[in-house]
Amino acid sequence: MLSSRVNLGQLWRLTSAAGLVALASVFLAGPAAAQADFEGIWNPSHPPRMGQPDPSTVRMTPAGQAEFDSFSPDKDPTLRCLMPGIPLGLVDPYPIEIVQQEHQVLILYEHFHQVRRIFMDGREAPDHWQPSYIGYSTGEWDGDTLVVRTTHMHPDNYMWTAGFPFSGDENTYVIERWWREGDVLQFTGEVHDPTYYEEPYVVGGRWNYAPDGEIWEYECIPEFGGIE
Amino acid sequence: MKFLTTRGLAASLVLLAGLPVAAHHNGATYFDTSATIEHSDATVVEYAIVNPHGRLSYTFVDDEGNEQEWSAELASANNLRRRGLGGKIFEPGDQLVSVTGNPSRSGANFMRLQRAEFADGTVAAFTGPNRGITPGPGAE
Repeated sequence: MLSSRVNLGQLWRLTSAAGLVALASVFLAGPAAAQADFEGIWNPSHPPRMGQPDPSTVRMTPAGQAEFDSFSPDKDPTLRCLMPGIPLGLVDPYPIEIVQQEHQVLILYEHFHQVRRIFMDGREAPDHWQPSYIGYSTGEWDGDTLVVRTTHMHPDNYMWTAGFPFSGDENTYVIERWWREGDVLQFTGEVHDPTYYEEPYVVGGRWNYAPDGEIWEYECIPEFGGIE
Repeated sequence: MKFLTTRGLAASLVLLAGLPVAAHHNGATYFDTSATIEHSDATVVEYAIVNPHGRLSYTFVDDEGNEQEWSAELASANNLRRRGLGGKIFEPGDQLVSVTGNPSRSGANFMRLQRAEFADGTVAAFTGPNRGITPGPGAE
């Protein structure tokens, strides 16, 4: 409450200062201040072909084509009870739960109990970070769209089960954009792998809000994973 | 064989509403989805409801009188359970009139299970829009 001893001149200066502070906060806070509510459980409702591109539109490099031609199911980590990670698991067929915290967004997958940590506090991958199936993800808000960049992905993975390869070398990265439209959460993922692809491999998926949804345990037995 | 009650099956189907077919791999990559094979008078060896894929193992006697051992891949345990197919649908020793599926491209005694029919006419369908259990006229 303003003191009754404050005169009009002081009041103008105070309100001006407050306005400047408010104005500055808008610019200094940046896009992180504008965020959408993705919290909760979401059931998959992906488009046909599990959101994968039409195979006839995928342009591979000669090295990528050679990998495609020598595809073997043995390369599928899920058949060995290993998580699909990124990029194979970008479009996941099981429910997920999203938890939004100040410093990170968590995506908790039913599938293989995957946990994705998307760091929102500006940090970068530490030098010692090793390639992993889930990679290293950082995010920022572009208005109401969550933009996620993932690096440090495991080379022992592949793009999709139709046989599209993934090099996992130091030039690979993934850009995802997640946005909410009512009770639908949509996303696109651009996988950049210039060693194997002439242009980014683009996937897209959608999730339906499921306030009564359930995340189940996903135990996995390798002996039942093999394709004979 | 033991089936879910109608109420249990209906609850499972409601729970699953909106969920797409969960698949780890593109079936056509590993199985010839343009071809269908059928084995008659099969005997169940094992029905495993596990991840990443369920499996039905069975035997049958071929036209030459030789007993063959086959396995059929199913969806994941979680997917089967959500679709009301996670119960003890098959038990060792169950007699099946027919087992139908897409053959493995490798030529192994392995298929992707589409449906199995019991002697009482009950059908367990694992692919397509009508997947689920349809009791036959002779079912209890």
